[in-house]
Amino acid sequence: MRKMKAVHLTMALMLGAFSLTACGSNNGSSQGTNAPEGTAAAEASAKPSAKPVTLTFLIPNTEDVTPYNLIFKEFEAKTGNKVEVQALPGGDYDNMLKTRFSTGDFPDVFLMQPGTKQYVKLRADETLYEWSGEAGVWDNVIDTIVDFQKDAAGKAYGVPFGKTGMMGVFYNKDVFEKAGVAAPTNYANLIEIAKKLKGDGVTPFYEGVKDGWPTQVFYLTGWVSQVDQEIGDEGVQKLNVNQLKLSDIAALKDLFVKSKEIKDLGLFQKNTLSGTFDELQNELGEGKVAMAFMLDGILPQLEKKFGKDFVTNKIGFFPFPTATDTGTAMITPPNQLMVPSKAKNLDAAKELVKFMISKESVNTFYQSQPGIPVFKDATSELYPMQQTVKDYIDEGKSKVNVQNRLTASFLDLGKILQNFHITGDVDTAIKEMDANYVKDGNSKRLEGFE
Amino acid sequence: MERSKYPLYFSFPAVIVFLLFFITPTIIGIYYSFTDWNINADAIKFIGLENYKELFNEPRLKQAFINTLIFAAAVTLLQNAVGLALALLLNEKLKLRNLLRMIFFMPYVIAPLVIGYIFRAIYHPEHGIVNQFFGMLGIDFMVQDWLNDPRFALFTVIMTDIWRVAGFSMVVYLAGLQFIPKDLTESASIDGANYWTRFKHVVFPLLAPAFTVNVLLAMIGSMKVFEIVMVLTEGGPGYTTEVFYTYIRNTFSSGEMGYATAINMLLFVLVTLVGIPVLLAMKKREVEM
Repeated sequence: MRKMKAVHLTMALMLGAFSLTACGSNNGSSQGTNAPEGTAAAEASAKPSAKPVTLTFLIPNTEDVTPYNLIFKEFEAKTGNKVEVQALPGGDYDNMLKTRFSTGDFPDVFLMQPGTKQYVKLRADETLYEWSGEAGVWDNVIDTIVDFQKDAAGKAYGVPFGKTGMMGVFYNKDVFEKAGVAAPTNYANLIEIAKKLKGDGVTPFYEGVKDGWPTQVFYLTGWVSQVDQEIGDEGVQKLNVNQLKLSDIAALKDLFVKSKEIKDLGLFQKNTLSGTFDELQNELGEGKVAMAFMLDGILPQLEKKFGKDFVTNKIGFFPFPTATDTGTAMITPPNQLMVPSKAKNLDAAKELVKFMISKESVNTFYQSQPGIPVFKDATSELYPMQQTVKDYIDEGKSKVNVQNRLTASFLDLGKILQNFHITGDVDTAIKEMDANYVKDGNSKRLEGFE
Repeated sequence: MERSKYPLYFSFPAVIVFLLFFITPTIIGIYYSFTDWNINADAIKFIGLENYKELFNEPRLKQAFINTLIFAAAVTLLQNAVGLALALLLNEKLKLRNLLRMIFFMPYVIAPLVIGYIFRAIYHPEHGIVNQFFGMLGIDFMVQDWLNDPRFALFTVIMTDIWRVAGFSMVVYLAGLQFIPKDLTESASIDGANYWTRFKHVVFPLLAPAFTVNVLLAMIGSMKVFEIVMVLTEGGPGYTTEVFYTYIRNTFSSGEMGYATAINMLLFVLVTLVGIPVLLAMKKREVEM
């Protein structure tokens, strides 16, 4: 009897443990969702629907949905079709999207970060509608942006939408004025300014380590001013085919050293590890913090909290300075609109995309979210800090974010940097960054990484 | 007493469901752990032990392994200690006994995700009630950033999980206590045994089956911990609270399905390796009534 009980308990234990593996096996291959264009299903869904339909539009919740809702309202009035906006958590947006693709739960239209690397991630040739030959899409888009949208074969699976973004140092002008300092002329000058601010009782820099992603901005914006100068475009191309190791780039290592120096000098806020994007906005807006390495996604957030006048008059911007000058402005291409080739309402989805990039819709967008336009005939009132970046672009002193120039990603960079903030170990951090980059290239089956 | 016998085919539906939904996915999972299954690849190739070789060279997995063991050991031990203490207390004739039993069991029926969100607010470095309480008492050295300080993060997650699951152990121990014949403890009392002696020599040995169940369930459950860690710390700061499942989630997210399944298999082996000796050892000390 006791033996039998023991056997039963052993079996129960093994069953409990065995069931773990079910998690690994029931996810299903993404291949199941990859019906090519032109299949019966795709053709059937491509037939125009006489009845009004409801389209689903996915967007990360880090984006302000206000302009989209305004555009969709106009679309609804014009076509009778409704658009349901689903804002998914920004941090998990890609994963949630991939999961929905794997299960065949396709949205009609979705917003995606810029760059052709997304094509690899989403297996674009099998899953997405291809736009390059589509009439009425490309005429108004600025040429460089059109080029950026196409892969090596000249195909575009996304339609650009939004504005040219930027990353760099956002600062509170009042705080600078009170301390009697101005935008830095070089990196050493930036540290002097930070020390002066600290002496005046102001926290010079805020770092959102808890959220992870804000810490990446220091390195990405530093890359264009510092790393690009060392390795050039050829170096980036070598990285793209794994012929250059991140750990062999001295300028990248120097960025880690600089970050550590700022921390060691006590120029970040007191509790960096609990720093969040939300608190960053509050502290910068209230003048408790002078500067933050940040992306322009902070502007609508600051505007919500402190008003448009505040963002217009009190927030300044400068690029990551180099040892000798004010540096290079880091820019990001606009987001892209994508339509799954198996979208439930394919025709209506294409119609929506074309409506969104019409002159009227684009101007509605820029009225709500001023920024550097990517459409030829668009008008947008720029914030002063956006004008600063535009001046850099006009002077030829701007560069696209390296993450948008590479096909493999700096996987888990936020996590690596969190760990770096704890350990302060530069070599380990770079080694890990390098290993993860190669791992991602390998995982994406990119040439040179396998 | 002669046992009543039932035809074998009565068990067929259950066996079919078991084979279909448990054994088959498990076998498929084992197979995939030996493949390069990746969402970016066109085909799935058999690669033998490559995934296993790779995961043994992964420092982050090593950290997750250590954290999982610390978490499992601490939770198993403390969950049972607290659960037993509560069960002994609430087995006595107290006025609010039933209400207290319900209160202590309640956290177990709340979703770990909800608990995580609540405790994130409770542990907030400035506005959380934990630090405000310590501040109010004037013991400022106790005011800490509980979830974001690498020194305390894992400890804080462990304590939160114990709060969540101790009520479950309490219920199992209470059930065990109900089965102990009162005449045994009463006769021990008449013989002059005090509470501790009665507990040590009468109650504790007879609670052994409840111990076995509680320890095994606590151990398996805590080795599979995910939600509470995910919501409270996401495995951070850095990798200080990374556990197996947060790491597995990460690899699944990056599309490395074969590799992630191999980690899952490693966890299965680990649970089995730890679980069976514990089970056998505990079964040995069970007393038949």
